[in-house]
Amino acid sequence: MIYAGRNKFESIGTENREESNQDGNREDGEADSGRWWLHKYKKHPEKSPRNRNSTSQEACSSSTNISTENIDTGKGTPSTPKAMHVRSRCNPSVVREQLNKVFVEDEAPINKKLPKELLLRIFSYLDVVSLCRCAQVSKAWNILALDGSNWQRIDLFNFQKDVEGPIIENISRRCGGFLRQLSLRGCQSIADGSMKTLAQLCPNVEDLNMNGCKKLTDHTSTALSRHCPKLQRINLDSCAAITDNSLKALSDGCQNLTHVNVSWCSNITENGVEALARGCPRLKSFISKGCKQITSRAVICLARFCQQLEVVNLQGCNNIRDEAVQSLADRCTRLHYLCLSGCSALTDTALIALASNCHLLSTLEVAGCSQFTDMAFQALARNCRYLEKMDLDECVLITDATLIHLAMGCPRIEYLTLSHCELITDEGIRHLSMSPCAAENLTVLELDNCPLVTDASLEHLTSCHNLQRVELYDCQLITRNGIRRLRNHLPNIKVHAYFAPVTPPPTAGGSRQRYCRCCIIL
Amino acid sequence: MPNIKLQSSDGETFEVDVEIAKCSVTIKTMLEDLGMDDEEEEVVPLPNVNSAILRKVIQWATYHKDDPPPPEDDDNKEKRTDDISSWDADFLKVDQGTLFELILAANYLDIKGLLDVTCKTVANMIKGKAPEEIRKTFNIKNDFTASEEEQVRKENEWCEEK
Repeated sequence: MIYAGRNKFESIGTENREESNQDGNREDGEADSGRWWLHKYKKHPEKSPRNRNSTSQEACSSSTNISTENIDTGKGTPSTPKAMHVRSRCNPSVVREQLNKVFVEDEAPINKKLPKELLLRIFSYLDVVSLCRCAQVSKAWNILALDGSNWQRIDLFNFQKDVEGPIIENISRRCGGFLRQLSLRGCQSIADGSMKTLAQLCPNVEDLNMNGCKKLTDHTSTALSRHCPKLQRINLDSCAAITDNSLKALSDGCQNLTHVNVSWCSNITENGVEALARGCPRLKSFISKGCKQITSRAVICLARFCQQLEVVNLQGCNNIRDEAVQSLADRCTRLHYLCLSGCSALTDTALIALASNCHLLSTLEVAGCSQFTDMAFQALARNCRYLEKMDLDECVLITDATLIHLAMGCPRIEYLTLSHCELITDEGIRHLSMSPCAAENLTVLELDNCPLVTDASLEHLTSCHNLQRVELYDCQLITRNGIRRLRNHLPNIKVHAYFAPVTPPPTAGGSRQRYCRCCIIL
Repeated sequence: MPNIKLQSSDGETFEVDVEIAKCSVTIKTMLEDLGMDDEEEEVVPLPNVNSAILRKVIQWATYHKDDPPPPEDDDNKEKRTDDISSWDADFLKVDQGTLFELILAANYLDIKGLLDVTCKTVANMIKGKAPEEIRKTFNIKNDFTASEEEQVRKENEWCEEK
């Protein structure tokens, strides 16, 4: 690893610091980060002096300076004796030459004028790339740029292909207790060893995103549980090797967790979720897309122990039954985001329970819940007036009645998906278009695969002034003219539709087959 | 509006509207602590700021006198540097020495708005540059040995596009 020569490097950095101490402004630069360095320095006391001797030129010049400048200020005492020692071995002309050299070296006004904390303040405006470049400028800048205070929040998503274990270990060392937020989204090379180092060195981490770090296993969670009690948000999306043991460990050591995402960790079962629910009562957000082993019992536990839940996503957890949603609705009345898409066993009972208790719902996604009927949406529209985003894709039983109720009860609707709701007609769209939400808020309307919708619907939609996107794929009765008229009214609207190219007329004398058989049949 | 007198390190005195002077938390606190009467013809000595810089600071504070107080630092947000107003950008078209003096003055006088915008300006001088360009910009000497330089380069290359 790169840090083979780190100790040496650090001790050189020391001199640099002391050198800069000649500037009176530096005195108060001993922030935590300064101690961070000192700490390391103390750790290898026997190494540093040796290094000084080995780079005696520099050592001599810099410490000479310190010895003249700092004695009267009483600062830099640790270096003074050494400086004397070194100086005694230097001949005077060399000293003068090196003194000059130091002044030349210190010519950069930015270093000369600005004390460390102000340079750090400037560095606080820099992104990761700029910091890494600053670290290569000079020894003094290396120390400043790698100061943990600059590395409290790191997002490595843009570097995911290049980020490998040693980089994480390196960063962990830089950041230490400073690190609060780290996103490793997509950094697939990261393995448990690096995460263990991170957990040990960065005990104050609060937000850790490991989305897509596929190599990680329960060992990572165990290390986090052991060392990082302040962890509040953890994202293990697509860390497919994670099992219930992770959730058990986290529930043990990380009881401050508020946000947990275990989507696509298909080993997770109700046992893990139950442990999490019991251990982490502050949970506000639980996301477990595609965890098919999560059952109603798991959700009931969550509802029972984590009543502050506001965001729940159970997309594709198709073992969930009505009683699970009922339990959520009964206890977690602050829910505002709920995704039940793909939970196809749910019936109106679930939605009606939500309608009667969770009045704050703003997002409801129930794509593929094909048993829901107009009755459930009527209840919802009557009670949940804050609804903004609804995905009703493939709620195949709903009719215009649902739209009429939503139009009356939910003035904030902004995003409405009615894809594959095959019973929807122009009449439903007409009601929607006349509603308060249409005039004010409706931005996206997805009507693809609604076979009964005609150009008349587009005519109605001209009153939705904020409409920015309409999906019309496979709406067979929609024509180009209808879309053109809509565009005349709403010039900035994005309309997504597809019209198959007209079959070219048979060319004269072309009796030979020019198309494959299936095209002919079409 | 009552005025107060500010005296720079080199002895020059500036008469400034009290409200403008109070954008410096240091001066504001000083006035409050000393219980200075508006009537009194006191001179506030500012031994850490020379007249050239003090003149610039007063110019800045006068232009910004009606600004809302700058927002508190929020660690949770990535700090922007692309939001410098065109007036400030013009105002800060000065040599590096002056710019750094302004940072020091803003820090000493505790004028957050000025400190923010000057630090941002320096940050912008760093952003997007390769290490050698940064050295050139600030006249910093590369004090790494060849092998050390190679080492830090390797250590930090992960963030560079390949």
